[in-house]
Amino acid sequence: MTQVLATTVVVASLYALLAAGYVLVYRATRVLNLAQGDMMTLGGYFLFLVATAAPGEPARAIAGAAALSALAGFLIYRLLMRPMAGHPIFAAVLVTVTLGILLRAAIVLVYTDRIRHPLGLLGLANPARPLIGGAVVSTFDLFTVGAAAALFAALFLFLRFSPLGIQMRAAGEKPLLASQRGINFHLVFALSWALAGFAGALAGILYANNVRLDPSLGVLGLKAFAVALVGGLDSLGGVVPGALIVALVEVLSVRYGDPLLADVSPFLCLLAMLLVRPWGLYGTKEELERV
Amino acid sequence: MRGGGYFKTTYAADLALVDTRLRRRALAALVFLLLVLPRVASPFILDLVAQTALAAVGALALNVLTGLAGQISLGHAGFIAAGAFTTGLLVENGLRSPLIALPAAAVVGAALGIVVGIPALRLKGLYLALGTLALHHVVLYACAEFQNHWGANTGVSVPPPALGPWVLKGVVAWYYALTLAAALTLALSVNLRRSRAGRAWMAIRDREIAAESVGIDVARYKVLAFVWSSAITAVAGALFAYHRAFVSVEAFGFFLAVEYIAMIIIGGLGSALGAVLGAAFVTLLPHVLDAMVAGLRLAGGAAYYLFPLKFGAFGLLMAVFLLFEPQGLVGIWRRVRNWFALWPLRYRPLRSAS
Amino acid sequence: MTSFFELTPSLELENLEVVYHHVATAIQGVSLRVMPGSIVTLLGTNGAGKTTTLRAISGFLGADNAQIVGGRVLFLGQPVTGRRPHELVRRGLVLVPERDKVFETLTVQENLRALVPGWRAWRGADRPRIRLDQVFEYFPLLADRRRQLAGYLSGGERQMLALATALLCRPAVLLVDELSLGLAPAVIERLMILVARLRDELGLAVLLVEQNAGAALAVADYGYVMEHGRIVYDGPRDRLLAHADVREFYLGVGHRAGRKSYTDVKQYRRRRRWF
Repeated sequence: MTQVLATTVVVASLYALLAAGYVLVYRATRVLNLAQGDMMTLGGYFLFLVATAAPGEPARAIAGAAALSALAGFLIYRLLMRPMAGHPIFAAVLVTVTLGILLRAAIVLVYTDRIRHPLGLLGLANPARPLIGGAVVSTFDLFTVGAAAALFAALFLFLRFSPLGIQMRAAGEKPLLASQRGINFHLVFALSWALAGFAGALAGILYANNVRLDPSLGVLGLKAFAVALVGGLDSLGGVVPGALIVALVEVLSVRYGDPLLADVSPFLCLLAMLLVRPWGLYGTKEELERV
Repeated sequence: MRGGGYFKTTYAADLALVDTRLRRRALAALVFLLLVLPRVASPFILDLVAQTALAAVGALALNVLTGLAGQISLGHAGFIAAGAFTTGLLVENGLRSPLIALPAAAVVGAALGIVVGIPALRLKGLYLALGTLALHHVVLYACAEFQNHWGANTGVSVPPPALGPWVLKGVVAWYYALTLAAALTLALSVNLRRSRAGRAWMAIRDREIAAESVGIDVARYKVLAFVWSSAITAVAGALFAYHRAFVSVEAFGFFLAVEYIAMIIIGGLGSALGAVLGAAFVTLLPHVLDAMVAGLRLAGGAAYYLFPLKFGAFGLLMAVFLLFEPQGLVGIWRRVRNWFALWPLRYRPLRSAS
Repeated sequence: MTSFFELTPSLELENLEVVYHHVATAIQGVSLRVMPGSIVTLLGTNGAGKTTTLRAISGFLGADNAQIVGGRVLFLGQPVTGRRPHELVRRGLVLVPERDKVFETLTVQENLRALVPGWRAWRGADRPRIRLDQVFEYFPLLADRRRQLAGYLSGGERQMLALATALLCRPAVLLVDELSLGLAPAVIERLMILVARLRDELGLAVLLVEQNAGAALAVADYGYVMEHGRIVYDGPRDRLLAHADVREFYLGVGHRAGRKSYTDVKQYRRRRRWF
């Protein structure tokens, strides 16, 4: 039982990191970034890139990979998403789909589709840790939980108290009014993409060290959008309960059902939520009318 | 748009699908070309045309839902899978006749359309797209469970369809069958557009509240759009199963849904011609890239890079169309046609609002 | 002291022409100037081209597929035609929009922080340094509501919040679009007096775009009347107040009963166009 709980919290943390990216981009630009999963993969491969260049320096490698991912997010907005301003939102969402395709193709071109394990390159180990109550998790599982907690705390403080965070919320609500207040909303939107890239990279880096790295990790991203929707697409706070619910259902269906069911369980959660409360647990109802 | 000076004088002329002499001749030429193609073209070309025709059936069906009724679906591959697996299921149970399988697929598709359409009434735009995407995964899950229980783990094999003594086999036979299917679907979708339902769909697509206020039963027509679209799509799925002679879950991933969306986007949203053009484009693109790479005669290692290159080129082209040519291939076609029609008195066209 | 005409206007339009969708001319040859420390009002009915003029000044035409095809906008003597909106704001040309004027999901306090007042180099001597506590002096009501979501404010309170945030952007010129829209007469009067105080105490130049001519002329120093995309009449406040047409069509105090709108009586010579 404690093992189920522990696994749920770990899986939920990974989903929450990814879903934070969805919500950040959605809150700012009203676009659902279906390439979030592939941006996570990209983060993992950036880690691999930095680690091959300078092996044995985990701290520098992780920081470098996260920074590169944030930069990638920024550039993606600048090059792909900004020209979509004024087009229907669905077209912009499709652009993110093509972005995912492009990222995946680029990764395979450069790194082939072999499974990688950057852990050894970094010179780190991932020993199992027994917890109170008999559950066992890996060290990087704990890091994942810690990273998710830290990211959410930081995002909360940033969006609530920092001038830039307030500008980001303002520009997300009314971009035109924001520009009448001197806010360069394209810059702010690009920053939110950079933050989403950063959050996705954290998930990718941790997952690459904890489990493996291959170009098809992006599938996790599709599961995480179920998390974002269950919590409410426009609510960062909703991500946490959303992630816990989806992760719990998934862990339970692995335990009592079969792996096929587990793979589809996030989507079942999503469909159930769409039927009962389409705007999600903590989302705002008006959001449904906007899209 | 048509050049000036052309007016219709009878109601029958207004109803006619092919209205001018030029168009009648063009259509006749096209039909003739399609009929004689098997005599001149290689089996490879015929197979490509057949694949395009099959893709066009699915794309036309999606165009009814997304292009006409404005309901965005990312779950199209799920409906195709449903049709294919219905066929697989029937074949496993000894009902091999396409006369049973095709209608059964249509009925399953229609039923699935109702199952999706009614909850979809609450959802719009992005949420609808995500709902259908989730549904796609659920349908695939059901198919995978079926595959595990019934067929071998890898998939279900489907014998070629037979009507009494006639067995649909060989490239030429399939070419005729699939081209005919595509032609029928094209006629159906063009007619749907002109029907009461088609007008209602377009009204709903353009402004839902206004449509409701002029007395269109929005809920009914939305569900109807789902039913039509998914029924045709499921038939396409059944044809797919027969054509491939094999059904397996792996063939119906998210990427297939993206491919179909790409077809109607690249072709031009809302236009039947666009759906066909888009289907041809998306189907032929990998082969064109293959041919280009073969022409380059790269070293042995290059073959490895072919798949990601094709994949990437597909993504890039779709992005290019979304960014620079939202009207799709049909938009280009219309511009070229207008340019010729208006030459030499061309005037820069007015840019439309939004 | 230099004379009125030698001063550089804070804002000046020279023969501005705007065309929508490449074909529809919305405003033609509009020229106006706003002097430092004065309130200038631009009057006109719906569709006269007032909002288009404002959008042209503040760089918002692109969103509507419109463009400036002639003339220029001078801000503090420098041409700023076609600059991006946020850049203009940072230079000190700040707009209070007609609707959508507050961030409804932010609290009042956060609304007052959701702005970028511009770079130091652009904060010249003619831009007042306004602090938050000063703003609360002008708008004491906002101080009480600072923790409330702006979405729950009333129309008048929203207008105050919009003015307050605009002030914090440290404007040299304040553009106000329809200050009176949808507000009760008593509230309008209070707001107009506030705007006059801003001019007198901070030396702000204000361009008030209004339909409510009576309220605007109560505080304005100078006025322009716009009809069919053109400036048809302008003058100091007293001359406008005395003008028969303005009295009849904009102030509603004329003698000729039965005529409600200038379109009933005025005919403009149309330029013939063959092509």
